[in-house]
Amino acid sequence: MNKLILNFKSKNTKKIKNPKNLLGGKGANLSEMGRMGLPVPPGFTISTKVCDLFYQNKKRLNSSLINQIKKELKIIEKDVKKKFGDLKNPLLLSVRSGARVSMPGMMDTILNLGLNDKTVKALANKTSNGRFAKDSYRRFIQMYGNVVLGVESYHFEELIENYKLTKGVLLDTDLDEDDWDGLIKDFKNIVKEKTKKEFPQDVYKQLFGAISAVFLSWESNRAKIYRKLNQIPSEWGTAVNVQSMVFGNMGNDCATGVVFTRNPSDGSNDIYGEYLINAQGEDVVAGTRTPQYITKKAKREAKVEALSMEESMPKVYLELHKILKKLEVHYKDMQDVEFTVENEKLWILQTRSGKRTAKSAVKIAVDMVKEKLISKKQAILRIDPNSLDTLLHPTLDEKSSLEIIANGLPASPGAASGKVVFTSEEAERLNNMMQDVILVRVETSPEDIQGMHAAKGILTARGGNDKSCSCCCKRNGKTMCFWFE
Amino acid sequence: MGRPCVSGSSEIDIDYEKKIFKTASVEIKEGDVITIDGSSGRIILGSVPTVKPEISGDFSKLMSWADTIRKLKVRTNAETPLDTKVARDFGAEGIGLCRTEHMFFDEERIISVREMILSKTKEDRLKALKKLLPHQKKDFIDIFKIMHELPVTVRLLDPPLHEFLPKSEKEISEVAEVVGLSVKEVKSRIDELHEQNPMLGHRGCRLAISFPEIYEMQCEAIFKALSELKKNNQKFAFPEIMIPLVSTQAEIKIMKDLVINTARKVQKENKVKIKFLVGTMIELPRAAIKAKDISKHAEFFSFGTNDLTQTTFGISRDDSGKFLHDYIENKIFSIDPFISIDEGVEDLIKIAVTEGKKQNKKIKLGICGEHGGDPKSIYFCSKIGLNYVSCSPYRVPIARLAAAQAEINK
Repeated sequence: MNKLILNFKSKNTKKIKNPKNLLGGKGANLSEMGRMGLPVPPGFTISTKVCDLFYQNKKRLNSSLINQIKKELKIIEKDVKKKFGDLKNPLLLSVRSGARVSMPGMMDTILNLGLNDKTVKALANKTSNGRFAKDSYRRFIQMYGNVVLGVESYHFEELIENYKLTKGVLLDTDLDEDDWDGLIKDFKNIVKEKTKKEFPQDVYKQLFGAISAVFLSWESNRAKIYRKLNQIPSEWGTAVNVQSMVFGNMGNDCATGVVFTRNPSDGSNDIYGEYLINAQGEDVVAGTRTPQYITKKAKREAKVEALSMEESMPKVYLELHKILKKLEVHYKDMQDVEFTVENEKLWILQTRSGKRTAKSAVKIAVDMVKEKLISKKQAILRIDPNSLDTLLHPTLDEKSSLEIIANGLPASPGAASGKVVFTSEEAERLNNMMQDVILVRVETSPEDIQGMHAAKGILTARGGNDKSCSCCCKRNGKTMCFWFE
Repeated sequence: MGRPCVSGSSEIDIDYEKKIFKTASVEIKEGDVITIDGSSGRIILGSVPTVKPEISGDFSKLMSWADTIRKLKVRTNAETPLDTKVARDFGAEGIGLCRTEHMFFDEERIISVREMILSKTKEDRLKALKKLLPHQKKDFIDIFKIMHELPVTVRLLDPPLHEFLPKSEKEISEVAEVVGLSVKEVKSRIDELHEQNPMLGHRGCRLAISFPEIYEMQCEAIFKALSELKKNNQKFAFPEIMIPLVSTQAEIKIMKDLVINTARKVQKENKVKIKFLVGTMIELPRAAIKAKDISKHAEFFSFGTNDLTQTTFGISRDDSGKFLHDYIENKIFSIDPFISIDEGVEDLIKIAVTEGKKQNKKIKLGICGEHGGDPKSIYFCSKIGLNYVSCSPYRVPIARLAAAQAEINK
């Protein structure tokens, strides 16, 4: 029973044969980074075994598990010198899913957990930043309300939009402490209206609700479809990572971002990614603010004005760069890393093997052999043979007469012809009858993935600003990336 | 699988209700055909022909590493000079399946093919076949030249004859005139040839048991093509003559004698000597089970796993679209058995490999179904010791890489 929950720093993890099976990809990597001495916020992983137990126990956490979680929480409290639910110096947590293999965007995450009407005041006092505290609290209500309590996201977004309209401003960053205070009340009201219950103020109730929600998200429709398409067994289950929060939204010496150790679309050996100053993780993908490039080079190539991280935070950038190289040498593969800068201090939140296009997969594998990081055999095993299909795709015969009717962004290479369909169902139906179809959508969402799979090609009117992705899907205002490889 | 994708096209205006989208110039309805180019972002009206990509740089380096590791040879399924050329450029080491029926469908030849089929007497049939012979010979010359020094497996005529028959009134009267029959007679002949279940009907070697002159003509064309190339001192491919739909020892014995006799005759006429193999498809469960007997007369086996899957399950692939989805949904199939070889079909292949080798240690073994390009199936082929896989030209590099991975993971 004692290996059900493991601290990131636990020495036991080293002895586990396949840590990813037990801790999930994210958890295994967090504990590995912890042991490498990288700056990882303290936390623990609730193993995939518990996911099993949870479903066996009528989708509830049993009391022994609850006690173990509380015990682990004490260790974090000691480590960061904060207390969960404390009225002076409250500890805030992130609760995130982590299956054996990464399933981007498929399962749930909750940030800023541990805030309530009282701790939010403590956080404001402690940081002398009332706006930050209120902003964090409203984000938490929004996420928890959506993920755990099942209140549709758009209800919250509508409230913010209407508020901004009334105030006559465009950006979230134009809203001040009092504005957020008002919105917090509105958010709690909408939760009460939709769930017939008050928003939970007991921080432990919040925590166990969030952990349960992450386990439940393993059986969500989204996750099931993703598993089916990627042949992931449902028995694997997910782990849950509980980690102390670090904040990228406490001021202009804070930032958050995602970065690949090499360019995922062409494979060149340059770090590549995006970051936002004074923001929290979801802002980078939410599209409410335009993220900036990490490197000067990428900024120059994209011909944008806004400063790259290399220019705005040179010292932190250098440290990040060093860590990225270290991670790549350690894992011997291109990594996709999430980080946060809190008052100029760099924290690494996650690392995983980075998704990439077929073209860059080949380049990276060959380059890593040249760099003596991997052997030729390893390079061969790195490439999914079926993914070569995209490189072998025929291109349009430019000699034939082309009647171009419109243009869009080139989002995933290759050419395809087929009958126009407007729904995933129709795409699937015709595909089953061995007909080629082009799925045409205003924008694609995770619900469309079966239709996207059935179609020979996809055409959308919106989306596609992230060049590192094969296909971008918007859901609840979030850009999600699907890789059809 | 990569899906070409064009996104963020603000130039299109979509109306889900009416199921249309509009651009500045046109209105596109559901069901209209368009082409998208995910490399440039262009959206084009209608279907556009495509050209093949090149293998170079890092990709060719990775492939060269794979080639030094793999033991399984990779051939291609091709019957046109264009496909043969594409496949060779992609690294194919021969043709594992050269179908001959597609050569029959050519506009110029189809009349002669129909004449042959509708002939009432053997004499008339031979006359029609004689007209076809030079066409087939030319096809073979082209392919044998492109695949010089590599093996080419030629499969003799396989589909039921009625597939070649005219359908429209216009075509029927055209044929009637050429053959010198009345339209009524042609129609009644077409009715005679109708089959309830053509997939299990008068096809493959069964045709040649009834009409040996068809295979004799094809073999004559093959060996005349080879003789001509040899006499002109040109490099040419190594021929492997493959008999389709064999299920008994007697069938393959009769067919092998037919091939050898025709080959002898042509070689004598042309005063040349040509090496060749005669073998069979293994595409019926009985053939797999009786592989020991069959291998007495076959120098190679090529597993036709499309038909072997159909006949093992008793599922017609063309009709499977209606229920395959439900079978996958209900976890009866974990994957479409026409994409990755089913384990029951694998067992039949294993029996055939073991029994075939018992009789003939040197028997050459390959696979020519579409499974030959599926990495999971390639792993199986490597494990049971086949000599080669054969797949469509565009999957050749995929198969080369998968074969190397199979070798590493052995």
